[in-house]
Amino acid sequence: MKRILGIVALTLIFATTSFAAETGGLAHQNTGCGLGTMLFQANANDSSLLQAFQATTNGTLGNQTFGISSGTSECTQPKKFVQNERLNEFVYANLDSLAKDIAQGRGESVQTLAELMQIAPERREGFYRNLQSHFTEIFPRENVEYAQVVDTIVLLSSQG
Amino acid sequence: MRRPLAYPLLFLLLFPPPPVSAETNTYTAELKESAKRLRLQEHRYWHALLHYKTGVFGTESLVDDRNFFLSPRGKTDPAAELDAAIDGFFAQGEEEQTLPRCRFPARYDWLIQRLAADLSRLPEVSCRTLEENLKRIDAKSASLVFASGHMNAPASMFGHTLLRFDSSYESPLLSYAVNYAARIDRRDNGLAYAFKGIFGLYPGYFSILPYYDKVKEYSNMDQRDLWEYRLNLTEDDVRRMVLHVMELQGIYSDYFFFKENCSYDLLFLLEVAAPSARLTDRFRGFTIPIDTLKAVRSEGLVSDPVFRPSQARKIRHMASSLDEANIRKARSVLDNTVSPREILADGMPDTTKGRILDLASETIQLRYAKRQYTKEEYLKRFLEVLAARSTIPGTESGLSPLPVPEPPEGGHGSSRVALAAGIREDDVFLEASGRPAYHDLLDADDGFTPGSQIEFSRATVRYYPDTGRLRLQQWDLIHILSLAGRDTFFRPVSWKFRTGFATKPFPGGSDALVFSLNPGGGMTWDTRPLGLVHVLLEAEVNVAGKYSPDYTGGVGLVAGILRPMTGSWKILLEARQIFGVLGDEKRGREFSAVLRQGISLHRHHALFVDVGRTVSPGLHYNEAKFSWNIYF
Repeated sequence: MKRILGIVALTLIFATTSFAAETGGLAHQNTGCGLGTMLFQANANDSSLLQAFQATTNGTLGNQTFGISSGTSECTQPKKFVQNERLNEFVYANLDSLAKDIAQGRGESVQTLAELMQIAPERREGFYRNLQSHFTEIFPRENVEYAQVVDTIVLLSSQG
Repeated sequence: MRRPLAYPLLFLLLFPPPPVSAETNTYTAELKESAKRLRLQEHRYWHALLHYKTGVFGTESLVDDRNFFLSPRGKTDPAAELDAAIDGFFAQGEEEQTLPRCRFPARYDWLIQRLAADLSRLPEVSCRTLEENLKRIDAKSASLVFASGHMNAPASMFGHTLLRFDSSYESPLLSYAVNYAARIDRRDNGLAYAFKGIFGLYPGYFSILPYYDKVKEYSNMDQRDLWEYRLNLTEDDVRRMVLHVMELQGIYSDYFFFKENCSYDLLFLLEVAAPSARLTDRFRGFTIPIDTLKAVRSEGLVSDPVFRPSQARKIRHMASSLDEANIRKARSVLDNTVSPREILADGMPDTTKGRILDLASETIQLRYAKRQYTKEEYLKRFLEVLAARSTIPGTESGLSPLPVPEPPEGGHGSSRVALAAGIREDDVFLEASGRPAYHDLLDADDGFTPGSQIEFSRATVRYYPDTGRLRLQQWDLIHILSLAGRDTFFRPVSWKFRTGFATKPFPGGSDALVFSLNPGGGMTWDTRPLGLVHVLLEAEVNVAGKYSPDYTGGVGLVAGILRPMTGSWKILLEARQIFGVLGDEKRGREFSAVLRQGISLHRHHALFVDVGRTVSPGLHYNEAKFSWNIYF
């Protein structure tokens, strides 16, 4: 059985090499503390057999380990919610989805945000509306950093 | 952040524990005695915890990292490892990573319980990092998550599985996901990559990361749908599984693409959680992720799944709620020809404006993930669109719910055998064929990616009763086809690759076994009335002694339509012309037209009816065939 698989596999290899341009794999761009930094980016070489092959082998480039608490230490820390490490990590890692959900006034990331901030279920609808109407204060510039976003959100929720 | 790896075994060898007291000695002997009496070294659970498998060459653990074993003979000797574990009870020290009881908590929990060990007679240990991690993970329940196929990568239809520890948080994004994967080397080229992956030359490691990172990776980057199956496990079951994952931190096993892969190694975790489940033993030759999901389901471990659509599927759904003119508006926002403010100034209802801008922002994100925008372009457009969007108040989308496809485990089995009868010109023939994996274009789409095909090693034997001729009609080593529809937002390239052997007729009534290699690429459009209309440019090389010289090389074109007629009936109409350009140019020329129909009668049965005509210089024939397919 293993030998047959080996033969099949070898054929696949020769097939693969003719298409393989480069192994790019995943690039986890976690440099920076603002928008557009924590997205996984696809291999530029998008539709080759190689990618098809990678999909099954599911390789990682060694940047995924035991990330039980992920670091936000290279960034400026928020002023208010210093105690809430989970909130900081979540906002840091999901800033782009949060921006989208806040603008739309709904979505899984604002729901998660509300839960992490312990907003009571009956107050959440109002919380979402409040954030939505202050979008440009939460995200005033393209280079806004996550700590400022947390600070603004905390301030808004204490007023609302 | 990466943590330094621990080397407990090495540490113990270099710095043996201080001399032990007589009391310790007696208790060690006592525990070893009762372990022997209970035959714990043969216990199924001990074997599950250490990933032992017994085969013709004896018992061996599939874990290859020496640091996973306390005994130098641990990899092949469950009894020696058990003795070493009992010695480990009495290890003392400050450094948590060197204390066996902190390093291998699942083993020790089980041993304490089985041996009814008297904790007061054991040294006290405190495992602070472990406790902190457990508190942080806060696992209350667990889910098995299946990542389905990527639209344009048929091989990804095999799927991928990961495990999720669900906490007391309501939001699953805050859960932790456990993943097993090969750690590849960035400098490897395609050849090395494939070779190492198949022959176990990459180390496979477990990782544990927030689930939101995995959602970003699969839904947003890879555009794969996720299916989340809640496991029927108690909090104690889940705790054992978490402890076992902690044991596997920084521990590698050789990764084998076909068997000991991402899905196979997760089964060990499930066996640790549910000791009565028989999972790893079901997979001997190779492990297809979807089959592991089916196995887990048949053990009664999962119920119905929650569906998490990929970003691409969400974008398509949003687009389906808008008319052509409005989709074009979203497109112009993307292309920067219309500003988001102009959309706001338009006289449309607010909900329509909202949908146009939502469609634009999702697609901007997707394009950035695909590196079609620079970071600057992305940030500018993304924030502009969102700022405009935020001025439309309201928290309701008003969108109809996204249609949920058939769950992956509901599809046909990966293996297929078929019996067929047919006629070529005036000659009646009978056929038998089989393939170990995986999906043919005409097989039922439920649970698979429509327009995708990937088949390994499909072999067909044909017998002509009148002449007594028996032939290996066809043996496709691999046949992949990806017909991915293009639309306003997605522009994938369709492609195919086939290689294998086939018996081809030659003029004068003879035939010969030909080896061929046949790649192609082109485009597909998903048109409503016609189905998937596709045009691909192809190249083909055929090798056989009967050609003069021994081969032909050709280029050509294939065009066709694949259309689902009803839920269980599909047709494929295709015409193909190849022109010989190298070698035996004349014999390389071939025209063929086929009409294939697939009718699935049941999840495990389907009828295929094929008719076709083939024309090449000095040769032409018609063929019709009726086949019965059984999936398992």
